[in-house]
Amino acid sequence: MSAILSATGLVKSFGGVQAVDRADLEVISGSITGLIGPNGAGKTTFFNLLSNFITPDDGIVQFKGDRIDKLQPHRIARKGMVRTFQVARALSRLSVLENLLLATQNQTGETFWKVWTQSKRIALEEKQARDRAMEILDSIGLIQKANDYAGGLSGGQRKLLEIGRAMMSKPELILLDEPAAGVNPTLINQICEYIQYWNRQGISFLIIEHNMDVIMGLCDRVWVLAEGRNLAVGTPEEIQTNDQVLEAYLGA
Amino acid sequence: MFSYLFSFDSGILTYVSFLITNIAIYAMLGLGLNLQWGFTGLINFGVAGFVAVGAYGTVVLSMRGVPLPIAMMVGGLLAAIFGLGLGIATLRLREDYLAIVTIGAAELVRLVINNESLVDGKPGAIGINGFPLPLANFRPDIFTRYGMVLLLTGVFGLALWKLGDWGRRRLGSVRESKNKVWLTAVTGVGALVLVRADVVVTMAMLNFRDNQVVNGLLFCSVLMAALVFLLVETLVRSPWGRVLKAIREDEEVAKALGKNVFSYKLQSLMIGGFITGIAGAFYAWQQSNVYPDNFKSDLTFNVWILMVLGGAGSNPGVAIGAAIFWIYTTLTRDLSKLFPMIPTSQIDAFRMVFIGLLLIGLMVWRPQGLLGNRAELTLGK
Ligand SMILES: Nc1ncnc2c1ncn2[C@@H]1O[C@H](COP(=O)(O)OP(=O)(O)O)[C@@H](O)[C@H]1O
Ligand SMILES: [Mg+2]
Repeated sequence: MSAILSATGLVKSFGGVQAVDRADLEVISGSITGLIGPNGAGKTTFFNLLSNFITPDDGIVQFKGDRIDKLQPHRIARKGMVRTFQVARALSRLSVLENLLLATQNQTGETFWKVWTQSKRIALEEKQARDRAMEILDSIGLIQKANDYAGGLSGGQRKLLEIGRAMMSKPELILLDEPAAGVNPTLINQICEYIQYWNRQGISFLIIEHNMDVIMGLCDRVWVLAEGRNLAVGTPEEIQTNDQVLEAYLGA
Repeated sequence: MFSYLFSFDSGILTYVSFLITNIAIYAMLGLGLNLQWGFTGLINFGVAGFVAVGAYGTVVLSMRGVPLPIAMMVGGLLAAIFGLGLGIATLRLREDYLAIVTIGAAELVRLVINNESLVDGKPGAIGINGFPLPLANFRPDIFTRYGMVLLLTGVFGLALWKLGDWGRRRLGSVRESKNKVWLTAVTGVGALVLVRADVVVTMAMLNFRDNQVVNGLLFCSVLMAALVFLLVETLVRSPWGRVLKAIREDEEVAKALGKNVFSYKLQSLMIGGFITGIAGAFYAWQQSNVYPDNFKSDLTFNVWILMVLGGAGSNPGVAIGAAIFWIYTTLTRDLSKLFPMIPTSQIDAFRMVFIGLLLIGLMVWRPQGLLGNRAELTLGK
């Protein structure tokens, strides 16, 4: 039961707004962990701090035992922790397939001079990446769209694309920011199934979500954030019956 | 106008050779900028500065006895380093800083070459001339000349083949007969121009000794433009190019997927700068003298115009943009002969106005440029 990710005492303020105020969080290796809280609680900011898209004012983030709070975002991703965005970001003028191919790690062809010196190896890697990307696209139901521009996808499809793209990078931990928001119910069920399927393959998840059915159905543990602080942590059942949590949500 | 297309008069042939050289040089300039802006989304308003660094680097070195190919490469490298400096200074800041700083840096370069005496203690403002030109003393025998014809014909032949391929594929996908006629016409004109260009360069190479300076530069610039084209096409189709495009679309996503955005932006600035510097060497050779005034911001804007005209993000588009830009400039140059009653200065002004109108029209009806993909632009972000 070791933690793959742990954050201690994270602080971030924007001018006068204390968005995250000494909050902690832990993701157990192999788990699906939830992060919930009312709107404006600081969940997205917390994600940004974990992935260092925003530098914390204070606090420690550890991933697989190493401090990552001073690491540049792309280095964190390379270490095996990939995030998605609350508003899905498709690379519009790239095809859906290219969106996935981009996520492949350690590509020889991303070093420009190797484009000539190692062209055979690059062609081979591209073929392997393509096969894998097609597999993922098939599993998230986007294979028909493989060669379409990603900018033409619907909101729900973009969410799927982001998750697929994150998967493509073979991460150990994926941070999902509201994967079910704006997605139709059938698709939500599908997304949940993929998350469980990939989780069984050993990938850990940290999920921000407002849809309680999703949180209750998926998560092993849930952290609750309110006004930038930890409010509660426990199993979904415990959280559901926690008076403080209910109060925060009802805006007491 | 038709004489440019069909005449075999030696004066006209020389003039068309000159035109082809110009197109090749500006195509290189456009390809360099396109890598930076069209593929990476970096705004470089200092093209003229990059050209000046490449041109002066090459010229000064070659006057000190450095062989031309090496001088040219060093000129390109200096321009790349210029890009590196600009990138390091600005890329960590907000996006618009690069645009602003490139304008300033280009102006700075111009002021330096204006005030420094780089050769023989002569003041920079009077410019430099009398520097070595490529193949100017080359005396190719008949077999070498055939070889040169073959090489250049290979370039134009490849372009023709690509054009035909493109035309055929597009014809298969369009429905309306009006569009079919239009497409056929465009492909036909393109083919005619390419064939004419090949005829002209063939004549020029066969009669190489008639005008070695013009013909030598023609040979080198067409070949170099083709090389640069292959270079950037290979790059943008590689996984490396995919990262650039991802950065253009949304650099946060690229970061989240483990790409070192800063490093790729620098690489794009430097490789684009290198190409621009190489083009700068040719720019100097073609004018056979360099003055600080040749490197003003109108040079930058002309390169932007031809890139937008052809379609940023498409390398063939940029090459075609360069051709159209120079064919337009050449054809309208003769307007003053047709209308002797109008002062030349007014006609010149009108030529610029018309290009402006053309661009506005293009932005309204074909915002993607001539070869860009319309679907790409209408995509929601
Ligand atoms: N870049 C920013 N600048 C200023 N305030 C911000 C910024 N990002 C978030 N905030 C503020 O921080 C608080 C937490 O926001 P956020 O993390 O988006 O909450 P959540 O994702 O839980 O809805 C909000 O009050 C929000 O207005
Ligand atoms: Mg949020």
